[in-house]
Amino acid sequence: MNCEQARLLIGAEPGNASAELAEHLQGCAACATFREETLTLDASIQRALQRPPQLASARRAPLRTWRQWALAASVLLACTATLGVWLLRPTDTLAHELVAHVEAEPDSWLSAQQVTTEGVNEALRSAGVQLDVTSDKITYAHSCWFRGHYVPHLVVQTSQGPATLLILHHETAPAGRRRSFTEAGMSGVIIPAQTGSIALLTRGGDVNLLAQEMQHDMHWLPDAR
Amino acid sequence: MRNPQPESPVLSLGERLPGGDAGAPLTRLFESLRPDLLRFAHWLARDRAIAEDIVQESLLRAWRSREALKDANAARPWLLTIVRREHARLYERKRLELVPLDEVVETHAGEASAQAEDDLFALRHAIMKLPLEYREPLVLQILGGFSTEEIAQELALSSTAVLTRLFRARNKLRVICGLPSAPDAAAGQEQP
Repeated sequence: MNCEQARLLIGAEPGNASAELAEHLQGCAACATFREETLTLDASIQRALQRPPQLASARRAPLRTWRQWALAASVLLACTATLGVWLLRPTDTLAHELVAHVEAEPDSWLSAQQVTTEGVNEALRSAGVQLDVTSDKITYAHSCWFRGHYVPHLVVQTSQGPATLLILHHETAPAGRRRSFTEAGMSGVIIPAQTGSIALLTRGGDVNLLAQEMQHDMHWLPDAR
Repeated sequence: MRNPQPESPVLSLGERLPGGDAGAPLTRLFESLRPDLLRFAHWLARDRAIAEDIVQESLLRAWRSREALKDANAARPWLLTIVRREHARLYERKRLELVPLDEVVETHAGEASAQAEDDLFALRHAIMKLPLEYREPLVLQILGGFSTEEIAQELALSSTAVLTRLFRARNKLRVICGLPSAPDAAAGQEQP
């Protein structure tokens, strides 16, 4: 598959998951970027299509002034409420989706065999991330599709049990601050990183201690995206 | 023909059902899908009142052909297909006056300025302005959940033609969203 064919397919079917396209995307950063842009565009189109514009109708009687003010007040109230919901929503959703993702891969915490350096690098590379991960206790390393992007999903054996690490190079931590959460028996933290953020999840362990431990083992490379 | 007062065809059908509520589950199913159908018809017809008429007529047709619906899970795509065909039939039969979209948008200049920062507003109008040949497959795909092959079958086009139209539709919208236009990789590829 060449770039022209890949762009046509992405432009027509952004969610296309054919092996041929995936193979092309792994070796073509420009097409991978094109796909990311198109997926983002598609999410906007999806939202836009949920509500057709309220087109004017010649048959509509003119509104009286007081009704216009009432309508404006209602719209303002609705916008304020929507903004409030929107401001509160993303982090909760992100935390929830992180937990759901880890729950969907229960085997990730069961593996005891160390992943080779090549295996870790492959998981990082296929997600377009370059990191200097020095831990030798990684027992799971995959590149997973999460919120519209491939992200590295690692499990590291720590003194407090296995911990999941998701490198979210496309997710900026809200207000640039660390955020802890607890859900479905898991505790986690979303930490701002040099690029995007890092999510750490564990069952039972002290997530803040783990975060310190992890940060010793992980260094962003200068040309990391 | 327009009804003087919009009414739910589903409810009116339900009231006329013989033998009490024998058709109530189907009536409820149709009614639950009505917002989806109306949204879909609105994007095709670009006019709320016409969309209402299309949905009303489609639900009546669907009710008359209800024996063809074997699986309730298939009701949504089945009804969407009926709506699409009813829309095509309406324009073919009546040669309806096209909605002058520019005038409509102008009519809403106040609303537009009030929502100037809402990118979705611009995107909605850009979608509305897409020619039907691009808008229809895009709406079928994203709103209807139809596959390329299903769209091709419904529109009596080749899969390649559908891919081309979808690509071009998104390419036009990319520019609206401030993204660079992709080279038309589909140039010369569309085959009916």
